[in-house]
Parts: sequence; structure tokens; C-alpha cells
Amino acid sequence: MQQKTRPIQRFGQAVSKCTAEASVYGKCIVADYNHVYKDKCVNEFMKLKNCYLVRGPYLL
Amino acid sequence: MPPPRLNLLFPRGIQKRTAFTSPTPTSFQVFNRKTKFLQRERAALLPSSTQTDYLKDEVSLRLTDRLLDIKRHFPQVLDLGANTCNIARALISHGPDVLSKIGHLTCVDSSGAQLYRDPDSSFQQLKDKMTREIIVDEETLPFEKESFDMVLSSMSLHWINNLPGVLSQINSILKPDSPFIGAMLGGDTLFELRTSLQLAEQERRGGLSPHVSPLADVRDVGGLLGKAGFKLLTVDVEDIVVDYPDTFCLMQDLQGMGEGNAVLGREMGAISRDVLLANEGIYRELHGNEDGSIPATFRVIHMIGWKEGGEQPKPLKRGSGEVNLKDILEQ
Repeated sequence: MQQKTRPIQRFGQAVSKCTAEASVYGKCIVADYNHVYKDKCVNEFMKLKNCYLVRGPYLL
Repeated sequence: MPPPRLNLLFPRGIQKRTAFTSPTPTSFQVFNRKTKFLQRERAALLPSSTQTDYLKDEVSLRLTDRLLDIKRHFPQVLDLGANTCNIARALISHGPDVLSKIGHLTCVDSSGAQLYRDPDSSFQQLKDKMTREIIVDEETLPFEKESFDMVLSSMSLHWINNLPGVLSQINSILKPDSPFIGAMLGGDTLFELRTSLQLAEQERRGGLSPHVSPLADVRDVGGLLGKAGFKLLTVDVEDIVVDYPDTFCLMQDLQGMGEGNAVLGREMGAISRDVLLANEGIYRELHGNEDGSIPATFRVIHMIGWKEGGEQPKPLKRGSGEVNLKDILEQ
């Protein structure tokens, strides 16, 4: 049986509630996108991920 | 005693093997055709398949627009890589002006689910003039030489591994002095997604994996058509920019179109949630519109080539001009 909403849609909905955090993370990367390395913006990313985990706990 | 002749010392057979044996032309394998086939079969069964027709329908409409410029009747027409018969649908929506130019349309595609997604009733106006055929592979065309008066292809050639080979096959199944009109994705298609996914993977995982296909450039297409034996070439580019609410909608629509990633050597399995999350932030920041939507660029390469033959105009021989251009320009 097919689910009404697919996981990616629920994921998208949860992420859409964290636009502020996503923007902060994006700005951190875009500030110097010629020099990106692993965990360059790890703090900003963890804030984004925390927000998404709080808003969409049913996903995990 | 006369000196030995050179060709006795180096018999022809040996010369051939050592110096001038050209290796059989190998084509680079870029895409996993099997994966692509499965993706397209599944996509046609998705409920979102009809909702994601917009791009292919638009390209097919623009492609069939070009038929209005050719004052001819085409008894036998082939639609190579028909998808969901988008070209047939475009012909119908153009109405009798274009429909009357077509004698018979043969739509072929390797994916039966795509080809037969829509019932015959939705192609009423083409009823007796249209057949659908499943072919094994778009890379080997099962048709007789010189059997078509025109070949059309919309949004399919960008998944072909051996593009030069397919173009010369198209050339050989065309009757002399007949056109091939094609459109495919190329160049900077989805450059926004490509760049933001690269940045996201680089930052989250410290490495890259290809997510967007390498695509033919506009400059290459002219050369390819020429090499395949086409004359009177026309190649031009159109950018179609579609706005999406977020990156997830974009990727879902790509999946619905059957245009998912099928590059050989890609990382298997889904993109991790961390990368998708990072991608959403970067895409929006790097490319996002002011109203909160995100743009995705589809660069469509349109090409027209004519098979040589008949009373087709040809360029004059080099040096055969009798009027000095300089005199005319100075007047």
C-alpha cells in the first residue's frame, strides 16, 4: 500500500520550519565557497540539524 | 644484383599491423543504461508521472514548432526516445497546421511503461497515423536504411552513451535530403543543483560523488552532427528556468520525470539526510530567488541536420568565387 506522504515530503516539511538556521548555515558556506573542507561549518550545521530533529521527531 | 625492393623487406601485411592499425572506435561508457531503464519504468508508474510532464511537453512543443518552417509533407516520421509520446501530444496541440504535414508517426522507446502510459484514446487525432513500438535499446536502431522522411527526438539523447554512433545511425535510416530535428539537455543544465550538492558533500563528508550527469556542450553538438554526415546544420540553445518551492520538490520532480542520476561510478544508495539538509541551506543561499523559491535551469540544445542528397543547396568549392568581396564592401 502506498503512503499518503512520502518520507522525502515529510523531510521537506520538517526542514521548511528551519529556514533561519538553514540560511545561517548557507551563509557560512557561501562566504568562501572556493575553500570548503570537511566540518568547516559544523557548528552552524548542528544547529540546523537540531532544529530539524526537534521539529520533525517522527522522522527518525 | 639489384638492391632488394623495399616492399619485399617490409611486406604489406606486417606494415599494416605495426604502424597504421587504428583501434576499433570505443565509446566511453558514462551512463548505466540498465539503471536508466529501470528508473524510467518506475517513474511512469508513479502517480506524479503525469504532473511532471511539464518540462518534456514544453520542449516537445518548441521542437515541433520548427516543423512550421519546413514546407514539406513527411510520409514516414520517427520519434526516437518518445518518453510518454510527448511529441505526439505536442503535434496534437499544434492542430491541423502541423498534423497535416505528418503521414505516419512511429514512436519508439525502450521503456514500455513510459511509452504506453497514456491510453490510445488520448491520441485520438493521430488515431490511424501513429504506432508505438518498444525497442531494445535506443543505442541500436532496428530500422532499415533510408526508411524515414524525418526523425524527431526530444529529451532522450542526453542519456545515450555513444552519441556519435546513434547520430550516424539516424543519418543512415533517413532518406536522402531529409531532416533530423532533435532536442536534448546539455551544458549547464541543473548547474544550481550540481554546485550546491558539491558544496554540501564537500563540507559534510569531505569528498564528492557525481550527482548530475556530464552533458554535451553546445559547441560539441555541431561537430558531432557534422561527423555523423549531416549537412545544413542549425544548433541553438534555450534556457528553461523552473522555480520550485524547495530542493526536495525539485528532486522529487526529477525522479517523476525519470531523470534521476544514472552516472556510472556514482555512489549507490540514497543521498544521506545530512547532505540533503546541508544542500537545502546552500542552494537557497547561493541561488535562491527573493520570493523564497529556488530556480532550476534546464538548458535545452536544439539541433537540426539534413541528410545529404537531392537538390540540397551545397557550399561552392573553395576558391571558385569570381567576385572580389573587397570591391563590394568598399562601394
